[in-house]
Amino acid sequence: MKVRMDHVMCLLMCLLTTASGSTATSARLPYVYTDWRHFTVQDGLPNDHVFAVKADGSKVWVGTEDGLARIDKASGKVEKAWQEKDGLPWRVVSGLDVDPKTGDLWVGLFGGGLARFSGGRFDHWHQLNSGLVNDVVYGVAVEHDHVWAATTAGASRYNTVTGEWTIYTEKNAPMEEIWNYGVCYHDGKVHLGVWGSGVLEYDIATQTWKDYLDPDGEMEIDLYRDDGIVHVITTGVSYIEQVLWVSSYFGMSRYDGRHWRGYYTHETGLPSDFGNAVKGRSANEAWYATDRGVGAVMDFATDTWVTYTMDPNSHEGIAVVSREKKVLETVRSPRGIPHNYALWVEFDGPEVWVGTSKGLAWSKGQGYYAGLRERPVHTSTAESVRRHAAK
Amino acid sequence: MPRGVWAILPVVFLAGPVLGAYESALRQPVYVGVQTCAACHDGAGMGYQCSIWQQSKHARAFAVLAQPQAKLIAELSGIPQEPQDSPMCLGCHATGAHAEDWEKDATFHVEDGVQCEHCHGPGSEYMAEPVMRDRARAIAAGLNMPTERDCRVCHLVKGSHVAVHDRPALDISQGLKSIAHPTPERGMGLQPMNHRQDADATLSPIPQASAYIGVFACATCHRGPDRGYQFSKWRMSAHGRAFAVLAAQKAYEIAKEQGIQGPPAESETCLKCHATAWHDPAGGQGASYSIYEGVGCEACHGAGSKYAEEARMADPNAARAAGLKEVTKETCLGCHENAHGKSFDYEQALVQIAHPTKIAQEAKKPRYKTPLNLAIMPNGKELYVACEASHTVVVVDLGSRQKVAEIPVGGHPTDVAFAPDGRRAYVSNRLDDTVSIVDVLSRKRIGTIPVGDEPHGVLTDRAGKVLYVLNTSSDSISVVDVATQRELKRLAASRSPWSLSLSPDGAQVYVTNNLSRFVPFRSPSMSEVTILDTQRHVVEDRRIIPGANLLQGVAWHPSGDFALITLNRTKNLIPMTRLVQGWTITNGLGVVWRDGRVDQVLLDEPGMAFPDPADVAITRDGRWALITSSGTNRVAVVDVRKMIGMLETASTHDREHVFPNHLGKPTEFVVRHIPVEDSPRGLIITSDGKTAFVANALDDSLTAIDLDRWEAVARIDLGGPKEITKVRLGERVFHSADNTFQRQFSCHSCHPDGHIDGLTYDIEPDGIGVSPVDNRTLRGILDTAPFKWEGTNPSLQRQCGARLAVFFTRIQPFTPEQLSALDTYICTIPRPPNRYRPLGAELTEAQRRGKAVFERTMTNDGRVIPKENRCATCHCPPLYTDRQRHDIGTKLKYDRESEFDAPHLNNIYDSAPYLHNGIAATLEEIWTVYNPNDRHGITNDMTKDQLNDLIEYLKTL
Repeated sequence: MKVRMDHVMCLLMCLLTTASGSTATSARLPYVYTDWRHFTVQDGLPNDHVFAVKADGSKVWVGTEDGLARIDKASGKVEKAWQEKDGLPWRVVSGLDVDPKTGDLWVGLFGGGLARFSGGRFDHWHQLNSGLVNDVVYGVAVEHDHVWAATTAGASRYNTVTGEWTIYTEKNAPMEEIWNYGVCYHDGKVHLGVWGSGVLEYDIATQTWKDYLDPDGEMEIDLYRDDGIVHVITTGVSYIEQVLWVSSYFGMSRYDGRHWRGYYTHETGLPSDFGNAVKGRSANEAWYATDRGVGAVMDFATDTWVTYTMDPNSHEGIAVVSREKKVLETVRSPRGIPHNYALWVEFDGPEVWVGTSKGLAWSKGQGYYAGLRERPVHTSTAESVRRHAAK
Repeated sequence: MPRGVWAILPVVFLAGPVLGAYESALRQPVYVGVQTCAACHDGAGMGYQCSIWQQSKHARAFAVLAQPQAKLIAELSGIPQEPQDSPMCLGCHATGAHAEDWEKDATFHVEDGVQCEHCHGPGSEYMAEPVMRDRARAIAAGLNMPTERDCRVCHLVKGSHVAVHDRPALDISQGLKSIAHPTPERGMGLQPMNHRQDADATLSPIPQASAYIGVFACATCHRGPDRGYQFSKWRMSAHGRAFAVLAAQKAYEIAKEQGIQGPPAESETCLKCHATAWHDPAGGQGASYSIYEGVGCEACHGAGSKYAEEARMADPNAARAAGLKEVTKETCLGCHENAHGKSFDYEQALVQIAHPTKIAQEAKKPRYKTPLNLAIMPNGKELYVACEASHTVVVVDLGSRQKVAEIPVGGHPTDVAFAPDGRRAYVSNRLDDTVSIVDVLSRKRIGTIPVGDEPHGVLTDRAGKVLYVLNTSSDSISVVDVATQRELKRLAASRSPWSLSLSPDGAQVYVTNNLSRFVPFRSPSMSEVTILDTQRHVVEDRRIIPGANLLQGVAWHPSGDFALITLNRTKNLIPMTRLVQGWTITNGLGVVWRDGRVDQVLLDEPGMAFPDPADVAITRDGRWALITSSGTNRVAVVDVRKMIGMLETASTHDREHVFPNHLGKPTEFVVRHIPVEDSPRGLIITSDGKTAFVANALDDSLTAIDLDRWEAVARIDLGGPKEITKVRLGERVFHSADNTFQRQFSCHSCHPDGHIDGLTYDIEPDGIGVSPVDNRTLRGILDTAPFKWEGTNPSLQRQCGARLAVFFTRIQPFTPEQLSALDTYICTIPRPPNRYRPLGAELTEAQRRGKAVFERTMTNDGRVIPKENRCATCHCPPLYTDRQRHDIGTKLKYDRESEFDAPHLNNIYDSAPYLHNGIAATLEEIWTVYNPNDRHGITNDMTKDQLNDLIEYLKTL
């Protein structure tokens, strides 16, 4: 048999790529984070259960079950931590936001109310010394001169200039349940994620409420697809570029003002339907923190996902790129997220931070691009990623 | 009766009152006005109740506020507004003073003074006859049957009134007898009077004829100082009671003599002179007309519907053409000549009822300057001085050292700063909550920037692009963009930010805060210097100054290594009995190092304190610091090099624990004291380092100090009056430490700006270690006697008299002249305008809901709240105190008393902490923490949002 040179070349290429751990196939694929760094109590975090992360310029604030920490990005170190003995009013930090005007950090305290950290001083508001409706604060959001607190007994809005507190419950908002899990502010709208009441949207300009409930009215099934929010047990909200991303305990949702899209594990790259939080990066991309890893919608239009999990045996990171449940690419890395119980996601430009129940993960996202790009498909091993990184 | 009917009957029987109660509980009562009451409550059958009221002083209570004495009383009470516009005055001199406009029907007139509804409650829901005939139902609908206690709210002795009127205290039980207006027993005589106005209703008014519009229509314009208080003058006159007197026994006698049958109030013969529009006027009577006005405006000036229009009224010819009558002697003689056999002196009577539009201007009182702070123009040529009392900035030429101009700015200017290019000056106005922008070239105010509450310090950044303004009463710092004159953001300071200084490199601003942070009960003070980053305009750091308070003046050392601040070290945790080793208040300097360290040293020396250090300035070479003591009229000169040297060679232990309390150390670095004039405050050093200028607040002058010779070389007169009034004398006594042992403190030391220092003290008279009490504001306190938390001092004279000397100042008491002057001054310390409800503003939704909570009479589950446990009972307007002692369950283990004087609630939002011992850091805590047994009002059934609304309302008082 005559061996054709091109066949030889092709074989050679295959061998080479196999040896290097990658195939020569390319496709339109999303960016995959592979270079992760972990922070745990070993690195100075006060606790490994990371409930909240907030990027603030060259610093990153971290809220944990037993304290607050600040990471200096330049040095890559936890530069300071505060627990109750250091003046933190309450140990469990469940929510964080930064006032862009004043630079003050607002801290939601789970069981302790609300705190402001300004110039090194903690000021503390709780349900006995202020108009805060309840001390079990799940989330906090800064809206101009106001601060919102999502609490277990309603939402509180605090005017930092006049000192007035306003409480929102079923009495003055379409809140069928008052257990507020999450709050976010962006572009003139405040969104509340409420356990049992879906999402409530407050328009700052018109001071009116709008609610998003499951039109099915059925908690157990999704009767009609994409007719509304998938479930009213809502845990997180994120509004960006006029798109609302929602996490719930029974699936996730996206709403662009006209169309809903529901996401479930069985048909997408979601690692679990049990969502703890969501962070939208754009109208096209959002990351869901679930109890079994992080599912990132990297390109809404093509329904392309990257699922980040940790291999429980090797503790390596696994990133699976999929589209309509079809795996397009699997990338292993020496590290991924430190634990699959993911609690929070934060973006900082190309960088991403993931809070989990076993520490914080940080990836700088070198070469990050939004959406999809034609590039080689990797089926790389962790070792290859390590070697590649070392070059 | 069919069984079904029996079944229905109980339902029907119960439904009526239940539904009625439910219905009345649903509707908010509103004020309907006395004439609505008079529709039934007058005439012989009803005992002429309205007429009895009309002849009483209650009916003239509003009008009397037009008299000069009222103005004087207002001044004495620290009320800056016109008495007829002040809620404080109207609270007792009118009805519904604290109601919003929607709570008053069109038939209600505040000019009716203290009318029926002031005592009996707004009448809209109980006025219907079926309701009124059922007392229980009427009470459920809001009818109040007042007792002596209710009268005491207004009629308790008020110092301000005594000072002007000097009348004996009212015997309330006697007073009740004099205003008694019982309904006659026989027949519940509800017989509407047959006034001519009601007769012949078939007669229609002739459209082209003028109608009578009534005196209240006239009063829309013809009231107030701009119109010579014309309405009030009429109301005070006998004309205003002319109809009401027809109810008197005398009227009946006169009528009988004249052969008049029936009640005089229904007789045309009597009404001809005792009422307006007694006849059937061609134009009819407008809805606003009432026969009860007696001889009103239109009785003399003619029916007013056509000439009452303002445009017409402004033109005398047009007004006359429209029916305005010329009033002549004949107008008066028509009724008064030989009336009832009485002689009539027309000329004298005319004087009595004269009501000119323009009234004689009262003699102007001396207006002082009270210079507080100064700034030198960047070119070094002029000095600007913020003068609090004159509401101006005085300009002084530095070459000639003469005043050259005076620029009106806002209310109570406190600080002044120049833009770096010298073209603009910025002046903080602490009464107006604004900053005035002054154009230096034209010496005119060219703009006003609204900022936060009670601004004090003001300063630009190095580039002049941003203005920092310290909002002392709202604990914040306004960052203002100079170009757009808009506030960019508001930063959180500590409590009462006072003054600020820019670091030599321009990178930081240090801000002093007058009051300590909130600390746990009976813990040492922790005050703060707030540090701003001038690049990002954010709070960069906060430096704690332990054990100190009243941080005021601040100045950076030219090295940039540290700043000096003035401070007090008040020993409020130990009883005020320990005279040695610093006694109650020591005074000193703080050294706030850039590297984070803080040192404190004293300026007091054994035997001679340095009280009320107000400001500090450092010479250009950094060698010397000058500090003013407003309590002893001196300037201290500190050798900074020696002081720093002393600190740097000392151990850490000494620096932290010894030097802050060491009275001997100041002799090492305080090199001299330079006497200046009365109450020196702000201090500034010229750029050439040769001269310091000191603002002598209560001398209306500046002192120039030669820094080579170290002596005062000139006094610059700012042009204040030479006469020292009683109030001014009192102000000097208030700010002077002369009457304190070792000159340690003045009244001002604990009451800066006449307000609070936020501390709790252990005063001796109630026992050492017993009953620590919160320091209270002096603003607007005159009529809130008794004084002290235990209510043991019935007057200010008692409060500031001999007892003060025994328990506070520990030397000879004030002389009678000093005491009288001091008390007068304290009375005049004004209460700033309420920021949450500016005068005339409507309540917000939350405030309105809160008002309902404040005034509630039932709990959420429908139980009646006993009257003695309702908010509005002990905290009744206008002072929001009934001036009685009450046990509200706040007695702590070391309190000797359980009953405390109900504090007034005016401007309560800026006098934290609360309760007698200051244990409640916020208003919320008063009820969430310190009212577990509902002794301080029934509050434990409230929802959180109800409490929030209540707080929002309380902030408006």
